[in-house]
Amino acid sequence: MADIRENDIESRDEDGSASVSRLAWISSGVGLLLFLGSVGVLGYEGITRGSGPPAITAVVEEVVPAGPRWLAHIRVTNDGGKTGAKVQVEGQLMAGDEALETSVAEFDYVPAGSEQKGGLFFDRDPRAHDLRLRVLGYVEP
Amino acid sequence: MDITRQRSFLHDEAQFARALARASAGAIIFALPLLMTMEMWELGFYMDRFRLALFILVTLPVLFGLSYFAGFEETFCWQDDLIDALSAFAVGFLMSAALLTVFAIVRLDQPLPEIIGKIALQSVPASIGAMLARKQLGQQDDSDKERRIRSSYPGELFLMGAGALFVGFNVAPTEEMILISYKMSPWHAVALAVLSLGLLHVFVYTVGFAGQESAGDDGFLSVFLRFSVAGYGIALLISLYLLWTFERIAGLSMMELVTATVVLGFPSALGAATARLIV
Repeated sequence: MADIRENDIESRDEDGSASVSRLAWISSGVGLLLFLGSVGVLGYEGITRGSGPPAITAVVEEVVPAGPRWLAHIRVTNDGGKTGAKVQVEGQLMAGDEALETSVAEFDYVPAGSEQKGGLFFDRDPRAHDLRLRVLGYVEP
Repeated sequence: MDITRQRSFLHDEAQFARALARASAGAIIFALPLLMTMEMWELGFYMDRFRLALFILVTLPVLFGLSYFAGFEETFCWQDDLIDALSAFAVGFLMSAALLTVFAIVRLDQPLPEIIGKIALQSVPASIGAMLARKQLGQQDDSDKERRIRSSYPGELFLMGAGALFVGFNVAPTEEMILISYKMSPWHAVALAVLSLGLLHVFVYTVGFAGQESAGDDGFLSVFLRFSVAGYGIALLISLYLLWTFERIAGLSMMELVTATVVLGFPSALGAATARLIV
């Protein structure tokens, strides 16, 4: 066994080139690619993403029945430069200037440049009323 | 012929495949606590992009150094160490990506920078784990050459730094680091610093750094200053760097900053002291 291996090495040394195995080249090549890739993406993101405060907006995606109640699927988007934590979103069913019902959802994190989903439950059908969404506030993580 | 045969470890396909498998196991085992830590996922997307990029950049020289001193394959020139380091990063990155995907922490509908951030942060401990796998999981053959390299003083300092980074990193992302420092009075902090330094010294002595055979003649003070105090200094600097990287020190008063550094300095100092065991 040892003899065979030694012969192997000798023949490879005679070739003079590619003494490092192909697998080693592949794995280190992949490593280099991932290394440069992740540093590149992070660096690019750091440069292009502003450093301004979170700019968080909420929209209603759809309203579906949920048992005897109603569920409004909501989506919050952060177009600002920083992540907002503990983001509270309040939904109010309005009849004129009067709020019939208020529900609140809190998102642990809304990362900069991304969106999160959630839902608000109501006793009345939100489609029959004016559903007003407000992003109440956030804290810095 | 002896050297030629050892060279074959990196140059033999089957041997290298085995080493990669061992590295994958190491990456999972060593990174598991952090892979399952909530703060790590969150830091992956909200921490400052430049600090994260810098952290990834710093990882490569650390891997390179670990390969030089421990590595998952016997290495004889710096190109081999570079291949070693990059392979470990590849293994660490891919293992983190796979596990975070299985845990549903990473999903394809998330924005790319968020996905990259989460995986890249995890790949730091995972790739260090991949690098350490040889020592921990594999058979080890302490050649004379390796022992000689390790016993050099800068080599010892590097190993202590790597040990401090690895163990410190395991607890640095958690909220508890700051919480503990809030609870502590200045006297608690002083006591913890003395305890850290004392334990570091005891561990250096009993675990036995390579330089100790000669250091034994130098007497207590020399070992204490050259290894224990220097090691604790390194541990504190690395703790401060980790706290800064994870944005744990913004807005802290000087007193709180020092206390938090001392708190994280405790695990870091133990990591530095036991680097010989881990690395």
